Amino acid sequence: MAKKNELIKGSIDSLLLCVIVQQPMYGYQIIKELERRSQGYFKFKEGTLYPALHRLEKAGLARGEWQTLPNGRQRRYYHITEKGMNSLAAKRGQWLDFITAMNLIIQPVSE
Amino acid sequence: MLTVLSDYLDNIRDNLRLDRSSEKEVIQELETHIEEEVKELRESGLSEEDAADTCLTLLGSAKVVARQIYEAHSQGSWTQALLAATPHLLFGLLFALNWWRGVGWLLGMLALILIMAVYGWWRGKPAWLFPWLGYSLLPVVVAALLLLYLPKSWSWVAILFYLPIALWLLYAITVRTIKRDWLYTSLMLLPLPTIAGWFLAIEPVNQLPDDWLQRMQDFAPWIGLTFLALGVTVATFIRLRRRWLRVSVLVVSGLITLTMVAYYTEGRISILAFLILMVVMLLVLLSPALVERTLRHSG
Repeated sequence: MAKKNELIKGSIDSLLLCVIVQQPMYGYQIIKELERRSQGYFKFKEGTLYPALHRLEKAGLARGEWQTLPNGRQRRYYHITEKGMNSLAAKRGQWLDFITAMNLIIQPVSE
Repeated sequence: MLTVLSDYLDNIRDNLRLDRSSEKEVIQELETHIEEEVKELRESGLSEEDAADTCLTLLGSAKVVARQIYEAHSQGSWTQALLAATPHLLFGLLFALNWWRGVGWLLGMLALILIMAVYGWWRGKPAWLFPWLGYSLLPVVVAALLLLYLPKSWSWVAILFYLPIALWLLYAITVRTIKRDWLYTSLMLLPLPTIAGWFLAIEPVNQLPDDWLQRMQDFAPWIGLTFLALGVTVATFIRLRRRWLRVSVLVVSGLITLTMVAYYTEGRISILAFLILMVVMLLVLLSPALVERTLRHSG
């Protein structure tokens, strides 16, 4: 489990950008969406989500905006920025290359 | 909201050490998250207490969350780093270029320092403010020291009237800064040990102003160099994210600048005075942490 968490920790920024690129989302929604799309694989301490979102915002990769709901409750929605789009495109390419290379090595060699 | 949940948010607030507006936004965001999660857990059949406990377990330690959010916000830009280092660099240049004897330069610098300190104080106390704030308090301390050189009867007047007001002002600003973040108090007080070191090195034993001025003239390039070193320290501090690294940078800088003072003044500071200065430096830089703890416990 510890190794899995380390893997998630290293990829959290890319995961978050992948989720908010489809539509702006708020923190709790992002957690549910990650869990749903990974079929329960990506479950992490929820408290670590907000530092990561704020880091993305500071780096200019995402932008947080408050929205007031009809019931008066406020939610902070995260939008991906132009810079975030470019970063995601670059990271996607790196990931795909990495996965292809890993598959080539991990798969058992057929005699 | 249950007490256990509001305690959790209070714990995060206590450890965030962000400016007021950022702190409010972070707490509001987490509060919304907690409310939504507890509501969903209750809908799944958990009791209110169990839902609250599960929610807090999923969020993780309040201290860790607060520390990570602090680290996400703490790093200042290069512009902020330069702005924070500027008063040290100006003070360094004042001596390195021998402008310290020009009244115009001194008054101009004092005016700039006061303007920046007031501007930063009313603009939400950003990190770059605190070095300016430290220098803006310097004339208060210098005036108190100079009053001690007045004739004896006048010294008593100074002690009775000026010192209480000066001490109250220093206390009020220091406490308000500690409430924001004790590390900013250390940042504000950073030049104090170096100034004390130079004061001891050039202090006139026989009270002759000419001796004092001559010594200042002799040491001016080295005084300038120590303040330039403080400027580099402050810029590094602003660019760092982790608190323990920030503390280390301040302490190491104190050690280096005091060693520079002792080295360049070639024996004018005794080993005992040097050791006392080191202890004073550690007290000045680290005691705000203890004061912060005391202030918190006293509510």
